Amino acid sequence: MGKHKAQPPAGPLRGSHGKARHHLLTEHFGTRDLATLKGYQRFGGYETLEKALGMEPKALVDEVKSSGLRGRGGAGFATGVKWGFMPPPDGGPRYVVVNADESEPGTSKDRYIIENSPHMVLEGILIAAFAVQSHQAWIYIRGEYDRPYQMLSDAIAELRDAKILGPRPFGEDYALDIQMYRGHGAYICGEETALLESLEGKRAQPRSRPPYPAVKGAWARPTLLNNIETLATVPWIIRHGAAEYVKFGTEKNRGTRLLSVSGHIRTPGVYEIEIGVPFTHVIMELAGGPFEGRQIKAFWPGGSSAKVLPASRMDVTTDAEALAAADSMAGSGGCMVADDTTCMVETTYRLLKFYAYESCGKCTPCRVGGNWAVRTVAKILAGEGSRMDLQMLDRIQAGLQDGRCLCGLGDSAGWVVQSAMNHFPEEFEEHAVRHTCSVKRVRAAASA
Amino acid sequence: MPALDIAQEEVGYLTPEAMTEVAHALNLDPGYVEGVATFYSLFHLEPVGKHRLYMCTNLACMLRGAYDMLAHANQAIGVSESGEVSADGLFSTEEVECLGACEYAPMMRLDHAFHYDLTAEKIDALIGERRG
Amino acid sequence: MPDEKQPTPPSNDITLTIDGRSVTVPRGTLVVEAAKRLSLEIPVFCYHHKLNPVGACRLCLVDISPGPPKPQTACTTPVAEGMVVRTNTASAVAARADILEYELVNHPLDCPVCDKGGECPLQDYTFRHGYPTSRIDAPRLHFEKPIRLSDKIALDRERCVLCYRCTRYYDEIAWEQELTTDQRGVHSYITSQFDQPLQSIFSGNIIDLCPVGALTSRVWRFESRPWDMDHTASVCSKCAVGCNVTMWQRRNQLVRITSHENDAIDDGWICDRGRFDYTEVNSGERVRAPRVGGQHATWTDALQALLDGVRGKELGISIPQDVTNEEAFLLKRLVDGPWKGARVVMQRRTRIPAIERDTLPIRDLEQAKCIVIIASNTADEVPVVNLRIKKAVSRHGARLVLVHPDDLDLDRWPHGVHHVRPAAGGYAEAVRELRGHEYLQNGPVAVLYGDARGAEDGAAIAAAAAELAEAVGGNLMPLYRATNERGALALGLLSDATDLEGCDAVLIWGPGRPPASARFTAVWDFLVRPEHGDPDVVLPGTSFAEAQGSYTNLEGRVQFVRPPLHAGPPLRASWEVLVDIGQQLNGSLDFIGIVGVQKAASAASPALAALADPPAPMLAPTPVLYGPARP
Repeated sequence: MGKHKAQPPAGPLRGSHGKARHHLLTEHFGTRDLATLKGYQRFGGYETLEKALGMEPKALVDEVKSSGLRGRGGAGFATGVKWGFMPPPDGGPRYVVVNADESEPGTSKDRYIIENSPHMVLEGILIAAFAVQSHQAWIYIRGEYDRPYQMLSDAIAELRDAKILGPRPFGEDYALDIQMYRGHGAYICGEETALLESLEGKRAQPRSRPPYPAVKGAWARPTLLNNIETLATVPWIIRHGAAEYVKFGTEKNRGTRLLSVSGHIRTPGVYEIEIGVPFTHVIMELAGGPFEGRQIKAFWPGGSSAKVLPASRMDVTTDAEALAAADSMAGSGGCMVADDTTCMVETTYRLLKFYAYESCGKCTPCRVGGNWAVRTVAKILAGEGSRMDLQMLDRIQAGLQDGRCLCGLGDSAGWVVQSAMNHFPEEFEEHAVRHTCSVKRVRAAASA
Repeated sequence: MPALDIAQEEVGYLTPEAMTEVAHALNLDPGYVEGVATFYSLFHLEPVGKHRLYMCTNLACMLRGAYDMLAHANQAIGVSESGEVSADGLFSTEEVECLGACEYAPMMRLDHAFHYDLTAEKIDALIGERRG
Repeated sequence: MPDEKQPTPPSNDITLTIDGRSVTVPRGTLVVEAAKRLSLEIPVFCYHHKLNPVGACRLCLVDISPGPPKPQTACTTPVAEGMVVRTNTASAVAARADILEYELVNHPLDCPVCDKGGECPLQDYTFRHGYPTSRIDAPRLHFEKPIRLSDKIALDRERCVLCYRCTRYYDEIAWEQELTTDQRGVHSYITSQFDQPLQSIFSGNIIDLCPVGALTSRVWRFESRPWDMDHTASVCSKCAVGCNVTMWQRRNQLVRITSHENDAIDDGWICDRGRFDYTEVNSGERVRAPRVGGQHATWTDALQALLDGVRGKELGISIPQDVTNEEAFLLKRLVDGPWKGARVVMQRRTRIPAIERDTLPIRDLEQAKCIVIIASNTADEVPVVNLRIKKAVSRHGARLVLVHPDDLDLDRWPHGVHHVRPAAGGYAEAVRELRGHEYLQNGPVAVLYGDARGAEDGAAIAAAAAELAEAVGGNLMPLYRATNERGALALGLLSDATDLEGCDAVLIWGPGRPPASARFTAVWDFLVRPEHGDPDVVLPGTSFAEAQGSYTNLEGRVQFVRPPLHAGPPLRASWEVLVDIGQQLNGSLDFIGIVGVQKAASAASPALAALADPPAPMLAPTPVLYGPARP
């Protein structure tokens, strides 16, 4: 197995430990050997797993339910409830599959967690596995995450050496194992059932639901799918108790979460925030606000799939309910910020290209509609558009939503168009009808 | 997929022969393997450079000048547009989607490592190191 | 103990409402199928009743309550008691029109040159459910076309709506993946692996499955429009399975063959032999007149020459595999009577002996818990039965036991196939040893047996199979190869001989090579083939497309054929010719009309009891025009 060297993250540590107020997850991030088993254990690592193995699985599920923890991947589904969906054991295999496919534009918090504390992730996975009576976990990690893959593999090797993975972890008669599986470049693998298809070695096209993975998941067996950050939060909850966790956050959206903040701000980074703080705190304080002489124009609160909001809405709070009410979503926590040098038609074009490129091609509206929207916006950007094209765009985005598509990718593509046109109609108007871009003119004037 | 990965590392990219060999090793139809290989962006079915610059141009990176970095990289390796292989076969660029390192934008993945806070100088240096 | 209230088992019948109308269907029925019962069309592309539903094309979106506020796909939703389905809400109607519009965005305006026109669901649905005018002005996506998937099938990627029926069929039904989808998103396209031609004998079914003109038959390319053709429902004549087919004719040419779904036998599939091997029927070289010594002759003279030529000699008769029961019956009367002692061999027959008892119907393979296949490569010999075996294994969990020296396509099944490879002559032993195998102990066993392509003692294998079936309480299925082998055997028509060596006068009926010993050769076929050599007498035969009568398939099921083509003079129905011969020899065959033959035949053998009540003979419509379909 070799030496397990502590590997510092590849880049300067940007984020939480500097300015954030809360450090439930990120408490020890930045400590030199946190990534090693010994380093992790110095802070009580795996004590919680040991404690959990002595508890009733149902008690663990209930604790997570009480904590109000919601999925941190993007859908925000109540984690404890999801754990409870797993059917009673029937003697056959059951799986915990960890979604480490983080590919939502603007989102880097899972990478951040893994690079800083891979063991925290593993401990969460193992607690979850025991809670749903599974013996085998799979981590599906995107192929581009070479370092995080290496770090998790090394950490898993350490656990095997320490017999924490094996037939009798901490002497309990409950075999546990974790395997890793690498993706190879497909955003759609972030969708649960597409991930399962990919894990099974196929083209990653989502499945029709029902049946849901809890009933028929990996290899048609009951499977629990959770995001990296969700599982990384579990040790804290079990260690300190749900009652402590609910002290943070809002009533319906408890706890803290990590936001990746990027774009036209001075100090991009991954910040742990208490859910419910306003985005002004995130963007203007934690992320340092806009550059000199510039003003924030728009921000995507939760990845590109979350509808864009104009700067005037920066007071919206970071909890799921407030964001939904503002006609956006909390999503993956990938906050991207654009200032007044940004042409919103260009951003729409770039994001649409992303969705069209990543579309799996299974269902008609996303496959055809995404590409059609890209071509229409390209036409507008090239100065060859007309009002008809705007109407067409509106039609296309409507055709992508409301259950038309098999999975959320299509809806997200629709939201990109809908929200940009909704909040910045004058930019689309001037591009399509008058064939000009006032933003470009301002940019050119500024650099002249 | 892990098998295809091994084949790609060995051959440089996935030729029909490589895919057929993977299929036979796993007792699968070559057609099935071909369908899987063509689905995923990281599987290359055309020759690529010995060193591949995967440059993210998605929104966060685009806002921080990724397209300028891409243009510079193309120029530095001597190709007219991304996706091409340099004449000496050493480098190729590819415009890719979000790599999950947005706080370090603009950034890229060079072979199996991420490189952050790109500047023209940094790109030149990374290319230069591998040219020698 | 106090009486415990037994919970009522859930009823098997579910009643739901679709568009205000009530319908009751079995539990597990999909909404789209329930709608069919009400003659309600919910348009579908990706759904096919023989394939697992995927909900990919989104065309069948309907509003269902109780349920999520978004529309659901009717093809993936099973019915529930009290469900209210609405296909005519504004949202469902708009969803359908939108999806159709999306399908049309990149679809080329090929209708005038597309063979699917006239029987195209995309055309029909757009007409019935789509927007009346097009709002598409963007340039369409282009692909190189047509692609030659094989010499039988053409692919047009621009027309393809990516319903994936073809690749799913290949994967689920045929267990092959030589057809695959490449790339992702809007650039996805269907392709054969590494652009190599399709090899599978099951490839042709994708033509029938494709809901648009993306997959078309190259054999039928640009031949005719659907409304130009007449068709009959008949039975395939290429092997003993007896799949039901529809034969289409135009100007008295057989222009195409498609499946006529019969769940009892073929489950809606046919193999490529049955689908494509018909073009010789339309050959310009067809024998149109009798010939004696190379010269044209009348039927009277030719028959006379035949009877003279065989009189007093050692007579051998080679009959085609698709000889009908009626013809076989008449021939049997001849070889029992005036042609006593004649040797009769059948093309393509196996060495499996006749079987008296009831054997396993093909459909019942789906009930088997274990399927034992002895001495037969089913994919090659009885292809559509091979598909039913695959269905039994993949859908119903049957276990497979193969007794064959080679690797077979059925070995692909990843969940365990017990494959025994006997040496030559070792079959009986190998079969005996299976008795105790665990796979055979859990329920109904189906024992299928062939003759290893004639290399083995068919009788010994049949006996071993019967013993095995007896021992484990299983059912037998003899895998005859020749179309009407079972029928001919039931009549006792076939000799034990394997060839006609030693006969000095031979009648080669259908394809076949006269033996070196023959001093007189008569050929009776619709084509003079190279193997026929230089016959003394040639009688014009009818092809399977003109034959009247019945075949008995390997199940023992009698099926009546319906010829699509009209055989006018100088062609004569084969049964008529036999009656004529019998009359001339000793006046023994005295039948008027084929029904008379059928009734007599039904009395001759219990296996032919179905002939006692034959359907009224439906002759092919007399065509208005003759000549090639494509003038």
